[in-house]
Amino acid sequence: MCELTRRGFLVGCSAGVAAMAGARFNTVAFAQGGGGENDEILVVIFLRGGMDGLHVVMPIDGVDRGFYEAARPTLQIPVTGPGAALPLDAQFGLHPSAGPLFDLFQNGNLSIVQAMGLTEVNRSHFDAMQQVERGLQSSSGAPSGWLARHLASASNLPPEMIVPSLAVGGLQPTSLLSSLETLNLSDPGQFNINTGPWLWRHPQRTALRRLWGADSTFLHTTGLQAMDAMDIIELYVDDDYTPANGAVYPQSDFGDHLQILAQMTKLDLGLQVATLDVGGWDTHAGQGQGSGGYFASLIEDLASGLGAFYLDLDGSGSANFTSRLTVVVHSEFGRELRENSDSGTEHGYGNLMMVLSGNAIGGLHGTWPGLAPGQLVDGTDVAVTNDFRRILSEVLIRRLANPQLGLIFPGYGDYQPLGIVQGEDLPPIYGDQPLFEDGFETGDTSRWSTSVG
Amino acid sequence: MTQPLVPPDRSTYVALRRRREARLRRRALPDSSWGREAVRRWSTPPSLALRAFAAEAFEQIPDPPAAGVIALTRLGFGPRPGELAAFEALGATDPQRLQIWVDEQLDPASIDDSEAEARLAAASFESLDKSLVDLWQDYVVADPPWEIRMRPYFETERATLLRGLYSRRQLFELLVDFWHNHFNVYAYEFGIGPIWVHSDRDVIRANALGNFRVMLEAVAQSPAMLRFLDNRDNSVDGPNENYGREVLELHSLGVDAYYGSIPKDQVPLDGQGKPLGYVDEDVTACARSLTGWTMRDRPWDENFGDTGEFFVYEPWHDTDEKRFLDVTIPAGGAGLPDGRAALDAIAAHPATARFIARKLCRRLVADQPPQALVDAGADAFTQHAGALDQLARVVRAIVLAPEFPTFWGQKVKRPLEIALSALRSTAADWDFSLDDEDTDSLLWRSYNAGQPLFSWPAPNGYPDIKEAWITTGPRVMNWRLTNWFSEVQDDADAFRLDLLGQTPPEVRSARALADFWVDRILGRAMPAAEQDEIVEFMAQGINPDLDLPLDTDEDVQSRLRAMIGLIFMSPCFLWK
Repeated sequence: MCELTRRGFLVGCSAGVAAMAGARFNTVAFAQGGGGENDEILVVIFLRGGMDGLHVVMPIDGVDRGFYEAARPTLQIPVTGPGAALPLDAQFGLHPSAGPLFDLFQNGNLSIVQAMGLTEVNRSHFDAMQQVERGLQSSSGAPSGWLARHLASASNLPPEMIVPSLAVGGLQPTSLLSSLETLNLSDPGQFNINTGPWLWRHPQRTALRRLWGADSTFLHTTGLQAMDAMDIIELYVDDDYTPANGAVYPQSDFGDHLQILAQMTKLDLGLQVATLDVGGWDTHAGQGQGSGGYFASLIEDLASGLGAFYLDLDGSGSANFTSRLTVVVHSEFGRELRENSDSGTEHGYGNLMMVLSGNAIGGLHGTWPGLAPGQLVDGTDVAVTNDFRRILSEVLIRRLANPQLGLIFPGYGDYQPLGIVQGEDLPPIYGDQPLFEDGFETGDTSRWSTSVG
Repeated sequence: MTQPLVPPDRSTYVALRRRREARLRRRALPDSSWGREAVRRWSTPPSLALRAFAAEAFEQIPDPPAAGVIALTRLGFGPRPGELAAFEALGATDPQRLQIWVDEQLDPASIDDSEAEARLAAASFESLDKSLVDLWQDYVVADPPWEIRMRPYFETERATLLRGLYSRRQLFELLVDFWHNHFNVYAYEFGIGPIWVHSDRDVIRANALGNFRVMLEAVAQSPAMLRFLDNRDNSVDGPNENYGREVLELHSLGVDAYYGSIPKDQVPLDGQGKPLGYVDEDVTACARSLTGWTMRDRPWDENFGDTGEFFVYEPWHDTDEKRFLDVTIPAGGAGLPDGRAALDAIAAHPATARFIARKLCRRLVADQPPQALVDAGADAFTQHAGALDQLARVVRAIVLAPEFPTFWGQKVKRPLEIALSALRSTAADWDFSLDDEDTDSLLWRSYNAGQPLFSWPAPNGYPDIKEAWITTGPRVMNWRLTNWFSEVQDDADAFRLDLLGQTPPEVRSARALADFWVDRILGRAMPAAEQDEIVEFMAQGINPDLDLPLDTDEDVQSRLRAMIGLIFMSPCFLWK
């Protein structure tokens, strides 16, 4: 079934129909909740390039340890001695540079889910990322990201949200494609236009707002949105920010971006979802030697950043943000079991996902498929035992209380919770639902006032 | 055993990149401060949740302007003063003018480019004319400090901006940017930056209007690509399929022709019995065909040497039979012919013609180009597959098709086009030499605007659809960049944009000033409601038809600069 609403939003369409409508500018309108009260914050961190999950969590005992060591003579993380794996249980260990994640795991705040992925093998970075971020089984179809459709379909959002969605980084990721309510920025200190003649800065800004308000094309509308975003940063975000609880962020783009996210979270601007990207994971060569090298620096950055972020938000009373926080960390695919001759790994399939939350049911989750030759996909890759959408759906339902799986993940119809986070199990809603039943479809734009300025 | 030239800890580069950014940031001009009191007065907080998006907004696009504006905006980096008038003088009708202009642009050697060449000479770049071997010797083997080592990268970056701004070979410069993104390489790397001149000059520029098959091989053999996608290390005993996969997915057949991991014999066939696409087996076969395609960068191994050049190391070549796409490469072949056989099959595949044509249409016409236009480009690609100017003919087929001038507003400018078109329209006098601090500042601000040259980290190039560039981040950071232009002064305190000097003496009223500069920058008037805002800003409450004391009043002069910043920041400036 295919439904083309007057917003140009396509549900469950074939690629062909989507292409026919392709000349349009497609977007998802934002379903302002109005009466809801959900104050959960979902952060989605995408590790770009195909993160080698077997280099993050690896077998430390049993028959799979033998397969692992045989396949990875250079890259293997030792079980004892310097650079030894940090044991998560009797069977699996964590990369030794991921110490802060180990602490979170020990405290029960980190769920690691193994052997997650797409339902079919896809070793193309870009195709696989499109599928994951659009929440589809094909890379074309819905011209919007799954997070954008969550925001568009949630019926429990609070009445006042100043920044419902935040994409920290230079560009907005595909998971928020067509989300026009997202604030996208990489540096609040630069997020202004105060570079012109000093004397005329206020009149110039007044004129700019009028200029962009003179018409209502998509371009004009997004421009006004950018002006609002600038106002918000100017109004709320201080240049100086001191992390709480002595948290120290790593000196990296990721550290900087997490710190911006923590600062924005604490401002209580109604933040619902946020995204962060971390690149550099496509390690075909020079991945490292055992516990050291390039990958170790990547995982150290990731782990120390997440550790600082969690600590920073882990206050008490009104500063207890971790009780509302769920962080999902994932990548487009894993990598082959066997290392190549360049101390690297080729594109693979099954991979781990991580969920960090004050409401995590911490521990190792998922069904481990094993590393014996007969257990590998195509003889090379860790199998996928669970659809990546199962984790995202559990977070959507148990934490965000949005059961609209049919809209957010078209074609996904057999959700069962895995038990990675606490929360109530609402019955999932599948099928093609009319997206905007809240009066928006009737053209009641009074609720969509442009009250700024 | 191979010893990677790249040091084991790549975080070094991250640190160096950050250090460079910090230096550029320090050297950037300080911004004027902005008080918060203005917005703090509001009782109603702004909210990003409240903006209405009427469905009609996405149907509304502006009417197409004259063909000359479309050509100079979409087939180049925007008009410089006088260029629109020159376009109009080319012929009697728009199709005639467009054809004459395009044919001239597709023969760039016929265009006098002395201004750009003189400015390049004045910038005193030292690496741009060096051969690959000399680049390797001077910047790699000699092992100079980092700032020297990366000089070929810095100079290519600056020369590219200089040519974009001053070259009259605009379509060529635009296509160079297209092909750099098509065969994208992240160039600020230890082993790539020192030879980046070679990739830009001998690989991309040498072939941007040439033959796709020739360019494909030039890329495959370029040291930068051999390193970026690891084919340098691809050997029979240690196959590395990074390049073998991306050459199919990103450079030629395209991901629409990827059939995943199904068996090769299950790929559907076309009318000629050729497989419609490729599967993982083809990826492996492609990588195997290119085993041994490596470079001379191992000084400790006399079989390789250390000149930086491409060569085939036969002991690394996989000599078993390869079944790739519709060809069988027999066992026992040598490395060069086997690899060339794979590239032949790639370039000849119908999916490649469609993929290249669609990408060019997306770049030159619309995000979602009409199928007829894609087909026209693909037909030209196939028909002229053996021609030395195959790619020029494909571009010609697309931009001289009747559909071309009917499309407008289905794309928006990307940051590189925003920056260059602003500077071109105002005849900016910019010095791109290595010691120019304003260029440092420009580069830093371009980095924040979202599209620094040769810096997209993934192999697919910067996104070329409007959705990627209309979010709040790129919008604000590009406003910030272009608003800065009117304030930049050189060491002698002269404005880089001599806006006052370019304003004719009879143009003095607010309305005349707005009309003159809107026409100069956009090549057309804005819709009345928007142009009125420019007029009112310039007038500041004074009768807009009264002459302003522009020649004597510094406040009016700075208001003129702010008005031009406003035009740069207008919606009309972004349509293309």
